[in-house]
Amino acid sequence: MTALLSIQAVTKVFGGLTAVDNVDVDIAERSITSLIGPNGAGKTTLFNCLTGLHRPEAGEILFDGRSLIGLRPDEITARGVARTYQNIRLFGRMTALENVLVGQHLRLHASHWSAILRSTRQQAEERAARTFALELLAFVGLESHAEVVSTNLPYGEQRLLEVARALGSRPSLLLLDEPAAGMNPSETDRMMELVHRLRDEMGITIFLIEHDMKVVMSVSETVAVLDYGEKIAEGTPEEVRANARVVEAYLGPEVVLQDTADTPNL
Amino acid sequence: MAPSRLTAQAAGVNGKTALRFLLRAFGAAILVLVIWRVTTVGLAEGYPASFWISQALNGLVLGGVYALVALGYTLVYGILFMINFAHGEVMMIGGIAGFFALQFSQSRGWLEGPWPVVVVALLLIMLFGMAASVLIGITLERLAYRPLRQAPRLVPLISAIGASLFLQYSVLLIFGVSPHSYRKPALISGGMRMGDVFIPYTGAIIFITSILLMLALYFIIQRTKLGRAMRAVAEDRATASLMGVDVNAVIVITFMLGSALAGAAGVMLGFHNTVVKFNSGFVPGLKAFTAAVLGGIGNIPGAMFGALILGLIEAIGPSALGIPTEYKDVIAFTLLVLILIFRPTGLFGEVLSEKKA
Amino acid sequence: MTPVSANGAIRNGLIAFAFLGYLILIGIPGRLGGSALPVLALVAALFFWVKLRFDAPDTGGAGLPGGSAEGKPGWQIGAPGQSSGRGVGALFPGRGGTLVLRHGLLAGVTTGLLIAGMSLAFASAIGSGASIQPVLDKIVPVNVGALIGVSPGQIANDDVPLFRYPLQVLFFTVAGLFAALAAVAARARNLQTTSMARLSAYLDSLPFRTTARFAGIALPFLLLAYIVWLGIPGVSAFGSNEGTVRLLFTLIATGSGLFAIRLAHPGREQKIVALLLALGVLTMPFILDQFQNSVMGLVFIFVMMGLGLNIVVGYAGLLDLGYVAFFAIGAYTYAFLSAPFSSPYISNLLNLLGISPEIPLLGYWTALPVAMLTAAIGGILLGIPVLRLRGDYLAIVTLGFGEIIRLFMLNLGELTNGPRGILEISQPGLFGLPPQSFSSGLLSSQGWIFLVALVSSAVVAFVAIRLNDSRLGRAWFAMQEDEDVAEATGVHLVRTKLLAFAIGATFAGMAGQLYASRQINIFPENFSLFVSIDALALIIVGGIGSPAGIVLGALALKGLPEVLRGVDEYRIVTFAALLVIMMIVRPAGILPSARRRVQVSPTDEQGPTTAAEERENDASLPAQGPPARPEDARSEEPA
Repeated sequence: MTALLSIQAVTKVFGGLTAVDNVDVDIAERSITSLIGPNGAGKTTLFNCLTGLHRPEAGEILFDGRSLIGLRPDEITARGVARTYQNIRLFGRMTALENVLVGQHLRLHASHWSAILRSTRQQAEERAARTFALELLAFVGLESHAEVVSTNLPYGEQRLLEVARALGSRPSLLLLDEPAAGMNPSETDRMMELVHRLRDEMGITIFLIEHDMKVVMSVSETVAVLDYGEKIAEGTPEEVRANARVVEAYLGPEVVLQDTADTPNL
Repeated sequence: MAPSRLTAQAAGVNGKTALRFLLRAFGAAILVLVIWRVTTVGLAEGYPASFWISQALNGLVLGGVYALVALGYTLVYGILFMINFAHGEVMMIGGIAGFFALQFSQSRGWLEGPWPVVVVALLLIMLFGMAASVLIGITLERLAYRPLRQAPRLVPLISAIGASLFLQYSVLLIFGVSPHSYRKPALISGGMRMGDVFIPYTGAIIFITSILLMLALYFIIQRTKLGRAMRAVAEDRATASLMGVDVNAVIVITFMLGSALAGAAGVMLGFHNTVVKFNSGFVPGLKAFTAAVLGGIGNIPGAMFGALILGLIEAIGPSALGIPTEYKDVIAFTLLVLILIFRPTGLFGEVLSEKKA
Repeated sequence: MTPVSANGAIRNGLIAFAFLGYLILIGIPGRLGGSALPVLALVAALFFWVKLRFDAPDTGGAGLPGGSAEGKPGWQIGAPGQSSGRGVGALFPGRGGTLVLRHGLLAGVTTGLLIAGMSLAFASAIGSGASIQPVLDKIVPVNVGALIGVSPGQIANDDVPLFRYPLQVLFFTVAGLFAALAAVAARARNLQTTSMARLSAYLDSLPFRTTARFAGIALPFLLLAYIVWLGIPGVSAFGSNEGTVRLLFTLIATGSGLFAIRLAHPGREQKIVALLLALGVLTMPFILDQFQNSVMGLVFIFVMMGLGLNIVVGYAGLLDLGYVAFFAIGAYTYAFLSAPFSSPYISNLLNLLGISPEIPLLGYWTALPVAMLTAAIGGILLGIPVLRLRGDYLAIVTLGFGEIIRLFMLNLGELTNGPRGILEISQPGLFGLPPQSFSSGLLSSQGWIFLVALVSSAVVAFVAIRLNDSRLGRAWFAMQEDEDVAEATGVHLVRTKLLAFAIGATFAGMAGQLYASRQINIFPENFSLFVSIDALALIIVGGIGSPAGIVLGALALKGLPEVLRGVDEYRIVTFAALLVIMMIVRPAGILPSARRRVQVSPTDEQGPTTAAEERENDASLPAQGPPARPEDARSEEPA
């Protein structure tokens, strides 16, 4: 099976610091892959390289067989890659619905002239966009909050809204940057369920960064581990869990795995 | 912090886009044009070397004055991340106050006395101008900026524009439209001649004084407890206040220092241009801001060198390009635009760019 | 804390003196004439009252620990055991009341003595023949005389009765006492709970609301009717100067119309009200006279400017201070096309194209697309270099651009005729009819301009609102909120930003063209930085992002100063001070857009007024100072 996303020997250097060092990861279509690693291991930097915020110094990123290197973030989104952010970055003064409508920006094509004249085609497109936005909000469970200004949403729901906004661009690959960070256990469960539904019901490939080991172990099919920018392991959760290097680098030499599973979110 | 880091690096990505290419081409075209004008017109005119030297000296003098004002922008920007748009007016008020002090000294005949008396009188004139500027500067901070510290960034900028207009037109209403002319005392009105180059005393004095003031500022910031507090607040206001630094006091002192330098600059610019009036702070203020940006706003040595470079370019530019001197403002603003487009962090780097966004 | 004697009172007296001194120096007493002294005293009283009420809010729970730690040292008037909090136990009736009175007295005396001293100094200087005037422009006999309460002649002849100075002191002392009394009276709680509560209950009641709503909707129509009535020959308003009164009412009618539309129930009622109002406003050019029409024309030209700038600043969040450049481009483009002056460049160009440089080249309406297009191209050309800049940097660079354009207009004499300007620009016609043919009888020439401005603004507003409602508007707003995320969400930043610059510039070009034909002659000075600042200020004052607010802002900033012709001298300082105050008190504008309201509401609601009032209503609760207070207090300790 060919990979939907193929990261090949990607390297990103900031000043003298190699944040991402020669990393290879392949992500199969309709899979759920986790990227883990201690703080500062270069996980978010890798995501930024994937979405065009950073340009890697070396390496190749193939999405659907085509290179993403050198594309602008909006072009990458147009190809079908969407993301959420570690520290929530919603359009704060917009309502939840408007956030999702912005997410659909690329999928709307009515010209600005037709917007001025309110042509029937443009009106139909806007109506369809609203319907779709409401469906997405319902999908993540925010249907009753469509008209709420997004800064006024509770933290956990802001994260869900970020997912809905990302879905607006109808992505085939969704990058989730610590989707469960700062959530309480029941919210975390809801998010894990959502991740599964995204894949099962919408057929979206998921690549996520997560610190919460419980989430990582239960949700992912493949886990890649970064440490100091290098990939030190990759495999099924069980394989990674058993990998001595991961245990040492990620969890510290003397720690028993059981403990970390209960470690509160970082 | 994260957004700013993202932006800084986002710029790197767009590197290969057409836009960046267009900008590069645009910059290169301007560079070629400038070089072409300089070689074909400026140098072809065949001015003597002494002409260029005296123009350059002129530029240094002007640059010294700009540097004092630019430091005010940079100091305030470094601590509050706001452009004190009214800083040029603070300078102008120093100039106006200096004018009155000068009138007073003249009416007392101090300026015709023996040279130590004249020197002391001139110092007093400058101190008076500085005091007036400091007063205006801290009032400005208290009334127009402090209530807006938590506001979105557009808000204090608009408040500053309002304050700038208010100060200009208050001076117009109070002191009238007509320009106030500085009459130089006999002691400093001459000049000396070195070879073919004539150096006016005022120019030399202005340059030396501004260098001394800048050194004093540098000493305060680098070597004193106060300076350490200022740097700490610039670095991270919240943490500094947790460490026991009185942030408000530091901000007030920053405004005082910046305004004092601006006041001195106002008085010296008065002697240099021979007149001050209500709007004579506006354009120099913009120029000084340009200088601060040129050197990397928030960067203190950068502001000093940026101002000297700007002064030189402004003095030499029109003759070198063979265009009328009326265009010297155009040169300065074009330079500002170009710098911000091609090197937004300035020639010497914006020290505090991390926290900007 | 130690009972600080009188520091606070004296400081308040000094601040009041500083403010009044400023008013005196800019010549306000001279303008007020005989009523100068009472008016100044009233200003002082108001200031003291505000200071007493809001500087020393009721801390309620007497003897709250920590209350005094926060307090300003200057405010401790009472004895230690007796005063609570910020010397505000002092504000309770009883001994505290006397202390407040003492405070007012002291502050008033301080101000009075200083003012009297200042007057004495000025009067004796003028009397002795010293030439103050070239130094302090407004210190002339008229002004000083009004301040002291004597005739200018008495000042000039050094003939001021000495008792005038103690009288001045007395005025301000009374002002201080009066303010203190008012503050104490307001503290007496009965007054609060009974009459105020009854009043606010009435204001909340349904009948009152319904009546107020109908009155609000009816007001603009009544005003319009009154304006028509004033237009009948022989009818006068308040005796004289009915032209100005009529202009004022026109401004108020237009402004209140905006509120009336908001007051109407959404749906059919709102549509009917809006339609009727539009009809009413459209008849105004026919009933107003030349002067009133010219002012209203200018107002609506600036509405167009504001709407355009609002796209750049309000919608896309790009602070553009060089907006005047596009206004100038529009004006000069039209001038080139329609005025007799033809620059050598343009004649050569025309000869090259084989067109004989006949004048006018194009009419108003045929030139309109050209002006719009030129301005749009200008917008894009100026937009490209600044695409990567944000916030303050963008503001300064665009400001630089505006100045560069002006300097070029001034210095490129061959193209723009330099400071001599371009003269005799033609007026808009209609369907091939020359402007003169219909602008004589029914419609004055300025009325025609006003009508064109109204229709153009309506078109511009329509386009702006529709665009803002579309995906482009959402993209602009997203970009304003978070540029990086907007880009990662799929917004093409370059295209979206350039569209904002281009559309904004197009509107400014339209406004510039109409401005050129309104002015007939244009000069580079017409396009100074102040045009940009005016345009920016009007959208800020009205409410960024809100088209209705922009109309209101233009009425207030471009219309009112014309009504207040007499105080034109003080226009800019007043306006500048208002700008600062506005930023502090109501940064979202008078009629803010819904989105802006979300952004600023927290600061809005924590304003000192509301906080203080809430505390008053429930004095038993330990009150928290407004957020700024601890900071304020700290900074004012002697360093």
